[in-house]
Amino acid sequence: MHSFFGKQLPVAVAFFSGVLMIITFFSGDQTVADFSQEQLVWVTIVGGFSLLLGVASITRVSLSDVRKRRKGWPYKAVLLIFLVASSLGAIIEGTERGTLYDWLFQNMNAPMMSTMFSLLAFYIASAAYRAFRARTVEATILLITATIVMLGRVPLGELIYGKLPEITDWIMNYPNLSVQRGIIIGAALGAASMSLRIILGIERTYLGRQ
Amino acid sequence: MLTRIADVLARIDRRIIYLLISISVIIPTLVIFPLPVQVSPETQKLYDRVEAIPDSSMILLTFDYYPSTLAETEPMSVAVLKQCWRKNLKVVTLSTVGLGGPSIADRVMSTLADKFGKVYGIDYVNLGYKANYQAVLLGLGKSIRSIYPTDYYDTPLDSLPMMKNVDTYDAFDFIFIVSDNGIVDNWVGLVNAQFGSEMGAGVTAVMAPKFYAYVRSNQLVGLLGGMKGAAEYEYLVGEKGAATAGMGAQSLVHLTIIIFILIGNFAYFAGRKKK
Repeated sequence: MHSFFGKQLPVAVAFFSGVLMIITFFSGDQTVADFSQEQLVWVTIVGGFSLLLGVASITRVSLSDVRKRRKGWPYKAVLLIFLVASSLGAIIEGTERGTLYDWLFQNMNAPMMSTMFSLLAFYIASAAYRAFRARTVEATILLITATIVMLGRVPLGELIYGKLPEITDWIMNYPNLSVQRGIIIGAALGAASMSLRIILGIERTYLGRQ
Repeated sequence: MLTRIADVLARIDRRIIYLLISISVIIPTLVIFPLPVQVSPETQKLYDRVEAIPDSSMILLTFDYYPSTLAETEPMSVAVLKQCWRKNLKVVTLSTVGLGGPSIADRVMSTLADKFGKVYGIDYVNLGYKANYQAVLLGLGKSIRSIYPTDYYDTPLDSLPMMKNVDTYDAFDFIFIVSDNGIVDNWVGLVNAQFGSEMGAGVTAVMAPKFYAYVRSNQLVGLLGGMKGAAEYEYLVGEKGAATAGMGAQSLVHLTIIIFILIGNFAYFAGRKKK
């Protein structure tokens, strides 16, 4: 019974869902289209529940850390306080402007996330100074290209040399693009083969066990 | 002498680097100096396409970004909205990013709506967020109502005048994606490829190189890359905003990083010569 719910049923659902999407794509039949649309609605609902599962999981782990005073527990406590505050605020008042949820988001979450992201500039500068060396021909080409693009993508570059933006556009549209196309095509082929493996039940790691 | 200089340059304390980067950001932010903005062909194409949309038509504008990239992405949304509302386009927004997307859309749109005298439900609608973006993008192509029975404020779509005859991508003359993540791939792969919707994108600078491929294959009409792309769009729209103001800081930070790369390489080669 456990094997049925843990292995066979999920593989059957994946097979059915995958095949349905393929049939919908190639078939113009309205009944199939309606059925597949219903399935897409289900997927968004299941997605909502998976978010809930994520909240439950982080609450359980954080609560345990706070109770046992594990390393970094004050951070987990702050996380729990704001998780409860924003959730309750959203449930009671909603998420529109002027609500507690919105206030927490606009005045705490957004500035903190922006701050974290902006720290990258400092780390990039330090790392580039220490590690970006023209040791080989390849590294030299990369270094020269990066310098041109970095200058060409800001107005100062144009002041230094008027043709820099054009050179940057050329780098983006030719050498960069050819490589990106290769990556995109490779990734798409990989995604297609992985999807096929999941639909056929060959790939089962998404079930969370061997 | 040269090797001594190289030794000193090879051991610059990281705090000095951090300090110089801080100064490079703070000074141009406080003292704004005018810099030329050369518009790239990708930005120009995108602007021209939105400009060519007949007045009073409908456009789908996405807020697919997290608060962490607001400095790059929000100016794009603001500039596009200004262009759209100057042309009296009706704007529908949605977000595939749960954390922040709909709240940012709510703030940006309501702030600009006051300025342009636009009314919610008549001139613009915020659909909000739904989980599992791939299913959402596919589902919207067949029935918007089945995926979003209500908008961000829980108002049924049928009670919003603007949404009366809107139920698939066909209702939109153009889709403008503003994103800081790989969702653009899905917009192109699922919506452009399967439903034929015309679209363009504004993305962060680190993501832009990837999407040039879609512009060249005409799957994207045009592309805005990072804060520079946003500044170019602001220039075309004719209203300088946060991105234009940020060009000074970005220019100086880029220059500082390049100088440090050159210093690092000089120290490396001078040190190697000594050995």
